[in-house]
Amino acid sequence: MKKLTGILLSMGLSVGIVSSMSAQEMKHNSAKFQPIEQPITLRVAIAIGGLSLMVTQLWWFLGSKPKSQKAKISDGVQEVTITVDGGYVPSLVTVKRGQPVRLQFNRRDPSSCLEKVLFPDFHVAQDLVLNQTTPVEFTPENIGLFQFSCGMGMFHGAIAVEE
Amino acid sequence: MGLVNNTKKVMNKITLKLKGMHCASCASSIETATRNISGVASGNVNFASEEVAIEYDALKTSPATIQKVIKDIGYEAVLPEQVSEDTDKKARLTETQDLTRKVWVGGIIGVILVIGSVPMMTGLSIPIIPDWLHNPWLQLALAFPVQIWCGSSFYIGAWKAFKNHTATMDTLIALGTLAAFSYSITVTLNPNFFISQGLQPEVYYEVSVVVITLILLGKLFENRAKGETSEAIRKLMGLQAKTARVLRDGKESDIPIEEVEIGDVVLVRPGEKIPVDGEAIAGNSTVDESMVTGESIPVEKKVGDRLIGATINKAGSLQIKASHIGKDSVLSQIVQLVKDAQGSKAPIQRLADRVTGWFVPVVISIAIATFVIWFEIMGNVTLATISAVGVLIIACPCALGLAAPTSIMVGTGKGAENGILIKDAGSLELAHKIQTIVLDKTGTLTEGKPVVTDIFSTNKNDDELLKLVAAIERNSEHPLAEAIANFAKQKNITISEVTDFIAIAGSGVQGKVDNSLVQIGTRRWMDELKIDTSGLHQYQDAWETGGKTVVLIAVDNAASGLIGIADKPKSSSQMAVAALQKMKIEVVMLTGDNQSTAEAIAREVGIKRVFAGVRPDQKVEKIRELQAEGKVVAMVGDGINDAPALAQADVGLAIGTGTDVAIAASDITLISGDLQGIVTAIQLSRATISNIQQNLFFAFIYNVLGILIAAGILYPIWGWLLNPIVAGGAMALSSLSVVSNALRLRGFHPSVSK
Repeated sequence: MKKLTGILLSMGLSVGIVSSMSAQEMKHNSAKFQPIEQPITLRVAIAIGGLSLMVTQLWWFLGSKPKSQKAKISDGVQEVTITVDGGYVPSLVTVKRGQPVRLQFNRRDPSSCLEKVLFPDFHVAQDLVLNQTTPVEFTPENIGLFQFSCGMGMFHGAIAVEE
Repeated sequence: MGLVNNTKKVMNKITLKLKGMHCASCASSIETATRNISGVASGNVNFASEEVAIEYDALKTSPATIQKVIKDIGYEAVLPEQVSEDTDKKARLTETQDLTRKVWVGGIIGVILVIGSVPMMTGLSIPIIPDWLHNPWLQLALAFPVQIWCGSSFYIGAWKAFKNHTATMDTLIALGTLAAFSYSITVTLNPNFFISQGLQPEVYYEVSVVVITLILLGKLFENRAKGETSEAIRKLMGLQAKTARVLRDGKESDIPIEEVEIGDVVLVRPGEKIPVDGEAIAGNSTVDESMVTGESIPVEKKVGDRLIGATINKAGSLQIKASHIGKDSVLSQIVQLVKDAQGSKAPIQRLADRVTGWFVPVVISIAIATFVIWFEIMGNVTLATISAVGVLIIACPCALGLAAPTSIMVGTGKGAENGILIKDAGSLELAHKIQTIVLDKTGTLTEGKPVVTDIFSTNKNDDELLKLVAAIERNSEHPLAEAIANFAKQKNITISEVTDFIAIAGSGVQGKVDNSLVQIGTRRWMDELKIDTSGLHQYQDAWETGGKTVVLIAVDNAASGLIGIADKPKSSSQMAVAALQKMKIEVVMLTGDNQSTAEAIAREVGIKRVFAGVRPDQKVEKIRELQAEGKVVAMVGDGINDAPALAQADVGLAIGTGTDVAIAASDITLISGDLQGIVTAIQLSRATISNIQQNLFFAFIYNVLGILIAAGILYPIWGWLLNPIVAGGAMALSSLSVVSNALRLRGFHPSVSK
């Protein structure tokens, strides 16, 4: 760890020197980024292209609804296997109220973001072991949509509780 | 299953992980072997998952026995916790090793590239740096492995998330570094195009290399720090003793803790850890319970006292009859409670949660907008690219997402260390807003062990009166009744039989003894019964001003005496009340006693506002009244009577080894009876919440300012543009600093007031 701290420091130092030099240089010599006359067609194309890219990615990430999967009931327990690989599949699970739910989380993604799954409404914070299936159990008492997420709140899923 | 239900046995289920199976016949031999164990109801092997699911009667056999049987036939069976702990540790270790390797490679190449780019970036010629270091092709060759090997986790993660319509941290880093890298490749391949545009053909390989390395390094530190946040739980679990010395058939033997059964007699020598929860049946000793209750003074234990597993036996030897084992033990329940609390979410976090949901797509939009706007204004692709990359790199949703949960983890863990169990993050958050604390008198402010101090009888025969009273009171469960019954026992008074016993809550009790009707209760009740007790009032008034609780006695509808009972305030009460008042919290006392008794006690401990003469069922009403004054009210109490009031209060604190009902109804449980725990709980809540606020504030401000500066908002004013490398460093530090700030809470110490 000491060596690593050494690396960090030396990198930080060199970056610091370089960036302060370049900052100075930028102040003195704004020639670095000189305005350049661009043809109007290119400017329009970039504007339109940028705008459509913006809209497309917003639609892709925010606009699309996940497919819901109903839990299967066996031995009085509603069970669903959720694959954890760059997200939760399925990310929306429909369950019935008042019956115990067992979600089998099969974590295949080594990303440390997904090492934990949180169900704040059911007071569950479960560590998921890589390449293993970890069950999360609770009994929903209220109807509604309950979010779950990874430890940092980047990946989301939801439990829809119905009558 | 039907059989299990019919016999009403408590069947435990367990799944053991199997090692050493080769074929389906191995599976069936394990099944046969386990089913032959007496007490095992079913054993099913899943060959594919290498597991055996066993249903067993906990009274007849134990997982350890089953494990041994499986081992005897040549396989290995491991408890699921052991598996996950092992593989978890292994996974963490390989991840750390992998990260370390990548950081080394990225770090060395990064330093070379940065040195190589110095002359170009600064326009200075530094003789010690050879020119060939700035050859774009060499830089490409150096940067390429970092890009595809060290950065692979970001690209894989981003792609997987993309397929699931999710954008994460990885998405931002992948986009940012790819943009810088592909811009540089374009320059390397086709420098003339840039020259013809009037741009300098500069490459930015060092940007993506250093950014990738810094973020990996940040992750490495963060992993280590995150491991420390759950330290409290690990510490608690580590308290558990591994073996116990039990006395079976007159023989002492050391056995693993899992094999101890309820009813076993466990021997504990001085200095040893008490292995299980139980009751002392022989010996006496002092026990250090600080690890569970937070109370530093060792507690005296004698025959009949309850002992908590994981506490340390100090002076004498003890024999303990095991009463709670495994999941039912106090320690396991504490661990479960803390885990539950750590899994809950504080309302304060809601905003951050909403933001993280759409944070990344919005940042990508801002980056695209940055590019487009700079291109439109300046027409300069280099400027546009650098600022867009800066925006992508500096944004850190993780800092936002980690801000509250890490503090909650550390805070609740710290609570458990001090004997404070917090039900969920919401309770922890509310506790810092408490304006009024209502303290129940008996058992909370006072010891809860009332003693008879005075007795007066109209016919000058105290013992005769006591005989009648004790006979009635023996049937009541009221603490005052117990005091009277104990007093009679001490005086060796023989107690007669009682018929027609009736208890009227908040008023008194009555019954027939030796053919006389005996009524014991409050003055108000006597008035209601139209019994003239005026002759006793002078005694009553005098005793009550002294802080004693007084009950009046009528025999056959004639006032015939009274008894004064005192309940000493706890030694910690006065200090705690003073500390609370110093924290600008109003302290209110609630009691069923009458005004003058209540006021005497209140004076002694320093409480100014008193609700006296409150019947148990009116307690909830009093809490509501205080809430109607617009205050955030906390109620501290124990016992079943207090449960509804604990639930009505904004924050319910159950104190002492309160009943299970009180613990279930309460938001915060103080394991020790020390009132100082209330002060500590509020201090902890304040510390945790301000820690979360700092974290959230930092994370929000960091992102807003960072994104604006990276987008070049200061460029037109001062010509400042953030170097993407600096952006990468800032981003790596931001989530690390959030976690480190949360870890500062580990240094929380309850400040004891003088």
